[in-house]
Amino acid sequence: MEAAGISADAALKPRASEVISEFISKYGLIAILIAFPAYYGIQDLIDDGNLTRLGNNLADGLSNGAIWALVALGYTLVYGIIELINFAHGEIFMIGAFSAFALWEPLGLHANTGTIGLILGLLVTLVAAMLVSGSLNVMIERVGYRPLRGAPKLAPLITAVGFSFILQNVGILWLGASQRAVPDLIHSQRELFDIFGVSISRGDLLAIAVTIPLVLLLTSFVAQSRLGKAMRATAQDPEAAKLMGINVDTTISLTFLLGGLLAGAAGLINTLYQTNVWYFQGFTAGLIAFTAAVMGGIGNLRGAVLGGLIIGCIQQISDNRIGNEWTPAVIFAYLVLIMVFRPQGLVGEETREAG
Amino acid sequence: MSTIAELRTRPWAKYILPAVILVAAALFPLFRPPLDGFMDDCILALAYIVMALGLNLVVGFAGLLDLGYVAFYAFGAMTVGWWASDFFTGAGGAEEGIHIGVSGFAATLPGIHVNFLIVVIGAIIVCALAGAIIGLPTLRLRGDYIAIVTLAFGEIIGRIFQNGDEITIFGDYKLSNGRQSISPIDAIDIPLLEPFDSALNLRPYYWTIFAMVLVVLFVNIRLRDSKLGRAWIALREDEVAAASMGVPLVKTKLLAYATGGAFGGMSGAFLGAYFSSVNANQFQFGFSIFILAMVILGGLGSIWGVVLGAVALAFVNNRLIPDVLDQGFVGEKLRDIGLDFSFTEISFGIFGFILVIMMVLRPEGLIPERRRQMELTEGIGETESVFEARV
Amino acid sequence: MSANGSILSTVSTTKVFGGLLAVSDVSIDVAPKSIVSIIGPNGAGKTTFFNMLTGLYKPSAGRILLDGRDVTGTRPDLITAAGVARTFQNIRLFSTMTALENVMVGCHARMRAGLFGSILRTPSVRREESAVTEKGHEMLEYVGLRPDLHEQTAANLSYGDQRRVEIARALASEPKLLLLDEPTAGMNPQESQQLTDFMDQIRRERDLTILLIEHDMKVVMGVSEHIWVLDHGEKIAEGEPEEIRANDRVIEAYLGKPES
Repeated sequence: MEAAGISADAALKPRASEVISEFISKYGLIAILIAFPAYYGIQDLIDDGNLTRLGNNLADGLSNGAIWALVALGYTLVYGIIELINFAHGEIFMIGAFSAFALWEPLGLHANTGTIGLILGLLVTLVAAMLVSGSLNVMIERVGYRPLRGAPKLAPLITAVGFSFILQNVGILWLGASQRAVPDLIHSQRELFDIFGVSISRGDLLAIAVTIPLVLLLTSFVAQSRLGKAMRATAQDPEAAKLMGINVDTTISLTFLLGGLLAGAAGLINTLYQTNVWYFQGFTAGLIAFTAAVMGGIGNLRGAVLGGLIIGCIQQISDNRIGNEWTPAVIFAYLVLIMVFRPQGLVGEETREAG
Repeated sequence: MSTIAELRTRPWAKYILPAVILVAAALFPLFRPPLDGFMDDCILALAYIVMALGLNLVVGFAGLLDLGYVAFYAFGAMTVGWWASDFFTGAGGAEEGIHIGVSGFAATLPGIHVNFLIVVIGAIIVCALAGAIIGLPTLRLRGDYIAIVTLAFGEIIGRIFQNGDEITIFGDYKLSNGRQSISPIDAIDIPLLEPFDSALNLRPYYWTIFAMVLVVLFVNIRLRDSKLGRAWIALREDEVAAASMGVPLVKTKLLAYATGGAFGGMSGAFLGAYFSSVNANQFQFGFSIFILAMVILGGLGSIWGVVLGAVALAFVNNRLIPDVLDQGFVGEKLRDIGLDFSFTEISFGIFGFILVIMMVLRPEGLIPERRRQMELTEGIGETESVFEARV
Repeated sequence: MSANGSILSTVSTTKVFGGLLAVSDVSIDVAPKSIVSIIGPNGAGKTTFFNMLTGLYKPSAGRILLDGRDVTGTRPDLITAAGVARTFQNIRLFSTMTALENVMVGCHARMRAGLFGSILRTPSVRREESAVTEKGHEMLEYVGLRPDLHEQTAANLSYGDQRRVEIARALASEPKLLLLDEPTAGMNPQESQQLTDFMDQIRRERDLTILLIEHDMKVVMGVSEHIWVLDHGEKIAEGEPEEIRANDRVIEAYLGKPES
């Protein structure tokens, strides 16, 4: 028999094959992500002699990405707490956008409204959009997911798909089946300034300026508040949380509320930025934001933001370089690649195998 | 004992009702005129039955939530678009084309023209391969992730064909016609029979798709009670235990995707030939949900349930919504009170509603399959794996 | 048969999760046709070790040899095909399937029907199906399940019957080595004794080697020809029941250090 004699230290050092596969898993994904902009960056250097075009892509991408980050946070919060992909989340975003837009006329907001009035009016619509989306999300959980808590995972997933379709049709009935241009309230494409030739527009600034505070608010809330702690406890172990006196039902509803609030905000920002609304925007947004959440590491808040920003850039580069009819295919191809290389995402940790 | 009660006890009694239904369905076209709107609906319903039975195999038997089934419709339809039309004009010489097994008019056209039966076999092979490829990335994933990845593939493939006029293959040939149809598609031409003509007589089409339904029913029933069928159920219930009992997880899952996908391809090829046109615009996520709704409504894993679900939703989609609701009584009343919308516009919302209602109220479906009923209503058989099985 | 005649040999088998050393440098040799046990306090790494033997975990280091063949890191279904079968600590029957169907799944590795054969129901497939069905009934009878319960849904069976079906299912794959993970959990002394006798019976009649994880000391001491003791992932002792009973380290592991 061979001599035994692998010391504990030696055993703790990971095996070569494990190191390699972990390496491929993490850096493979990063490599694929970087390859895309890098390829076009090199092309730009050859064609234009500078990286301005890529820079513009990235600037727009980051602002778009900020919006996707908000939506992705909603996915990740819900998945973290009940391990369910809320398929209808994209539609929550869309309904938020629609609700915000619906208030513009009654509030007298149009392209020429004075600044103070505009800001106040938009704050009102922001709050309204957030509340509508938040309460809608809570209602969906109450009606469609809570009754199915004990059922196999298949059941609430299908219900989620069903809600997604119902809400899309609400969108169709509300504003029709085609894209609908909305007043360019903040003149979103007007350039504000430029950095090294890269143009930063008002819309870009808005997206970043509203998203950052919201994300910071959310992360500190989850990290420090009592309810935030309840959320994290429930996410880790619902049974134990119940035994500690945490009302799991309320905590879950709260999570859906938070996710909805963020999606509603994202809806308004997106409408101001893109100056249009469409019943189908939720479906695309949903899948893009979900890809972002998974790329970052589902259940991980920082990951969702990171993923959102990255996906925004990929989307923008694809729209600009390949053609926006191909962009969904590009993004979904990335989703598949993430699932193949690193399903736990960039930031997410591998779950400990128990036993 | 009354005669009926006595008959019920015979071992073949359970075959009576299905047999009667099948015979009635087979003879049905003889009682309708050759060109008939109702028969047209039935033909569509039969095509959807084939698809739903295919999806039932993947989702119902093997428990793999496939939200991208439209990909197989796409491949099936594109196969018939490529091989039974003049899409590839220029192949085999500009004026001659390639002809395999065709006669009559189609034999004179440029482009690739292959006999329908061969095209169907081709579609089956293409879709089986596609199924295996789509399934590969999902092998190590949990249920909800499988849904997302299959959905992503459905979208990717749909988009590729929708933008296929921008892609060239084998030199100057476009991959597809993009948003425009490939049309016309050759008439179905079965040896010993005249080529079909959908402008004259729908009956041959009906019997063709009915034959496909019989084949698919046969395959489903045989597999359900076989070694593979048991392996699928075991894998669905408890992957880890299944692997420990000797079930090879990769092979078993890929077989589910491939077989289920093959049926989608068959039906897709038929529909392309029936409509005499293939249009990539139809390859949308909504179609996957449409078929899924049939499986859910009928009963996951329940062969006859799924047949019923497919028939029901086909009629809701083709008849109830446009004719009864929109044009009929309900639509009129709604217009009277000033609500001007078309039910057709919300047909997908209605399917969404069906999905929600079914899962909340009766997740086992209209004709439940015994085991699924236990899983869905009593929570039996829901094993949370503490660790993932190695594939 | 391996060089030293063991049916199962592990060589310094180790499993690390993240930073946790769950099984450390465990080497055992199991003599063919023996009944042997692995014992140890909770959390000692016994089930993790089992899971490596059956291919559910890939060892971080070390090797596993089955009948001389290196099966380290082989997939679970291939290890079953190679002749290893197991039962689980918390019974893992396919609860919506009948007892008979459960056992028929156990035969999967020994069946040859493929996709097309199953669809066409060729004569050989038909013969195989009825042979497997018959074998299923035989197995269930062999483990003592009443005939009227053979077609009963597994979820509806009593705990004791479920354990029986699990064993029948494991035996269905015609294993050379049977791994039983806490088979007497939840049993009263009579039932445990019945199971012990049964183990002896199947070992004799079916040419099997049996490797147990057990907590019930009476069973362990009564039936084992050799015992390994694990604690915190390490093998701290091995030997025959008498030696183990008297071993200080073992006693310490279970009961803790005596107060000084």
